[in-house]
Amino acid sequence: MATVIDIKGDHQEFKEEVETTDMALFVRTSDEAMLGWDRQRIVDALIRETYVDFDTAKEIAREVEDLIATSKIKMITAPLIRELVDTKLVERGLEQARKMHTRLGMPLYDVDQLILHPNKENANVPHGPEATNLTLAERIKKEYALLSVFSQEIADAHMRGDIHLHDLGFIDRPYCSGQSLEYIKRFGLSLPNSIAMAKPAKHPEVLLAHMVKFAAALQSHFAGAIGWDSINLFFAPYLVGMSDQELEQLAQMMIFEFSQQAVARGGQAIFTDLNLYWEIPKHFENVPAIGPGGEFTGKTYSDYLEESQRFAKALFDIYQEGDGSGRPFFFPKPLVHITEKFFKTPGHMDFLYHICDVASEKGNTYFVFDRGETAKISECCRLSFKLDQTDLEDAKQPWKMRYCALQNVTLNLPRIAYLAKGEDSKLFSKIAEFVQMAVKAHLEKKLFIEKLLSLGEKGPLALLAMERDGSPYLRMHRASFLVGMVGLNELVQIHTGQEMHQSKQAFKFGLKVIAHMKLLVDKFSQRYGMRFVLEQTPAESTAYRFAKLDLKFHSPKSGHIVKGDLSKGEVYYTNSTYLNNSAVLNPIERVRQEGLFHPLIEAGALTHIWLGEARPLKSSLANFVIKTFQLTQNDQVAFSPEFTTCNRCYRTSRGLRSSCVYCGSEDVDGITRITGYFTKVSSWNKGKIGELRNRYRNQTFLKEKEEGMALES
Amino acid sequence: MGLIKIFTKAKCPRCPAVKEIGTELKKEGVPVLNYDLDTIDGLAEASFYSILSTPSIVIEDEEEREVISWRGVVPTLQEVKRHLFRGIP
Repeated sequence: MATVIDIKGDHQEFKEEVETTDMALFVRTSDEAMLGWDRQRIVDALIRETYVDFDTAKEIAREVEDLIATSKIKMITAPLIRELVDTKLVERGLEQARKMHTRLGMPLYDVDQLILHPNKENANVPHGPEATNLTLAERIKKEYALLSVFSQEIADAHMRGDIHLHDLGFIDRPYCSGQSLEYIKRFGLSLPNSIAMAKPAKHPEVLLAHMVKFAAALQSHFAGAIGWDSINLFFAPYLVGMSDQELEQLAQMMIFEFSQQAVARGGQAIFTDLNLYWEIPKHFENVPAIGPGGEFTGKTYSDYLEESQRFAKALFDIYQEGDGSGRPFFFPKPLVHITEKFFKTPGHMDFLYHICDVASEKGNTYFVFDRGETAKISECCRLSFKLDQTDLEDAKQPWKMRYCALQNVTLNLPRIAYLAKGEDSKLFSKIAEFVQMAVKAHLEKKLFIEKLLSLGEKGPLALLAMERDGSPYLRMHRASFLVGMVGLNELVQIHTGQEMHQSKQAFKFGLKVIAHMKLLVDKFSQRYGMRFVLEQTPAESTAYRFAKLDLKFHSPKSGHIVKGDLSKGEVYYTNSTYLNNSAVLNPIERVRQEGLFHPLIEAGALTHIWLGEARPLKSSLANFVIKTFQLTQNDQVAFSPEFTTCNRCYRTSRGLRSSCVYCGSEDVDGITRITGYFTKVSSWNKGKIGELRNRYRNQTFLKEKEEGMALES
Repeated sequence: MGLIKIFTKAKCPRCPAVKEIGTELKKEGVPVLNYDLDTIDGLAEASFYSILSTPSIVIEDEEEREVISWRGVVPTLQEVKRHLFRGIP
């Protein structure tokens, strides 16, 4: 809380009648007390917070006191005193001390705006008092991060928009994570600082309750998504003997528990990913199963195929129905892994039709392609962890399979192209420079998080430091450090004069850029013994931020490059390695071409197929999915229909409309996928609105397909 | 007759055998392009052809369309020649 100093009486009188140290100033402190003016407080603060010597501190305090006493100000605030002290530090050339003495906070006007208007940086944050608290805290932590955690070079690069340091408001947490339900099945719910400890669950409903609570606890310790591996399989030992009706009830509970808004941090739904398998993943086949009470059941997970499949089906039955008003569930996101074994497991075609039906009807299904021996856990909008030999060894004790990405740093690729002015060598050396900046940012964040973790179970990251299985919950040695990218398409456009979909040469140039980045992150990984990996940044707001900054710094060139509507301010860069959103490409070709980048982007990639109002047949989508698996390198696809939901009659119709088709009300909201999740269009930032207007919907193509004309090849 | 593209890596044990095939074909006047996956150009080209393992060989026609490829395997020189000169009188 801000402190305020009131000057009682007239300044002139003070000057004439009393020593300045006896000024009748009162300070309203954050302890809600009134304290008298004391010059020594300035000295104490300077000595405590900076490296200035005692004599300088005393001198500054006296000068500031004189200034206040001779001024005509009726009321001064503590931030003002601090600013006055800072001015004196600047006058003396004590720049570092000024930085250390800085006050973090927000202008009154900004707080007012924040309380009254929604924050559109993250469409997953609703507007309300809890969300305001979250945003206020984020603002302070963001400033803290840029001043205190990162070096000036990195902070400035972020401020300029060369790079984007994601989730600065959550600087004291890792970015996102992949979890194993086995941990709570085996150890129960025993969280540091918790007032009650729960033993391992004996019943499926209790296990679900543990999972939800643990997810909420994890949400308080990670900035982003919480992904759960093989959730249908790990629930399976609890589901033996349950009727279809009971299973459906449990599935319904799970989806509603994770989809209800305004129950957790800042009123924000927990960004939850459920990884699902039709088969028993190869690495879990012979693993002893954990059942009720945290006991080994004496069987392996291979023995629970039936329960696992029934639960997966039940979950999709619920997704198909949608919520109480027929809308798609925004969370939890179901990610179905399509593997070689999937196609060898009986019943796979019926299941594929089922999940394709849901994809067409509601859009929920994400199809994750694990080809060959690849296995991965997906989380966030597209992030995934590819499991290596060590992980597959850990799979024998699945509770060990806990992963995280510590931070995400995104490069502004179009900025690099503006700076390179058409010279290849300059372009590639600038890319190296930007990647190096991202690496430096990661080293700085890692150092900070390690400092917090070193305080163990008594520190701020107690949950991540707990050692229930003999090693810390957060396994730092398995952490990833993400290097993302925005606007590859525009980089290529600026540098070669063509967008990636316009020529083979331009497309190949895009591949060269990403190949360069991939080789660089590999080199840095070797040098530092850390896992730097490329990721397709979801860039919900970064694509907008970079475009706005480049319009400012690289005009007029940037005016011809940024996508969207300049007159409305709805500007953006094409996300990550995507082809132009408005390019008229048949979906299979888009999936194939975008998929050529995916093997280079180890931490996850996704292609969107915008459906618009189209509702393709489940058999068409199933065919599409099979072809994508067999004929492309694409990592993940999602089909996104659009909906209009009415705020008056609460019914939901297909397509984005300005009024409700049922009651005619204009109080409606659009729903579709913003990046890697569904949400209401009214919460989108301007850049994303611009992209939405430009998205090429594959309606005609899909219609032709239904008529048997297009996709068969 | 088309063009042959060879994809190798420095630390790949079976790559020298494929490089040798390339050298032989070059001697016979076949246009051969070598790509090292540890370089930017090599990795980009490999990505374009979805080459995920080394050594790999791709034969293209005059319009740069893939005719046949061997991925992660070493064909015999005769095998490559058979496909390369197919259709040439």
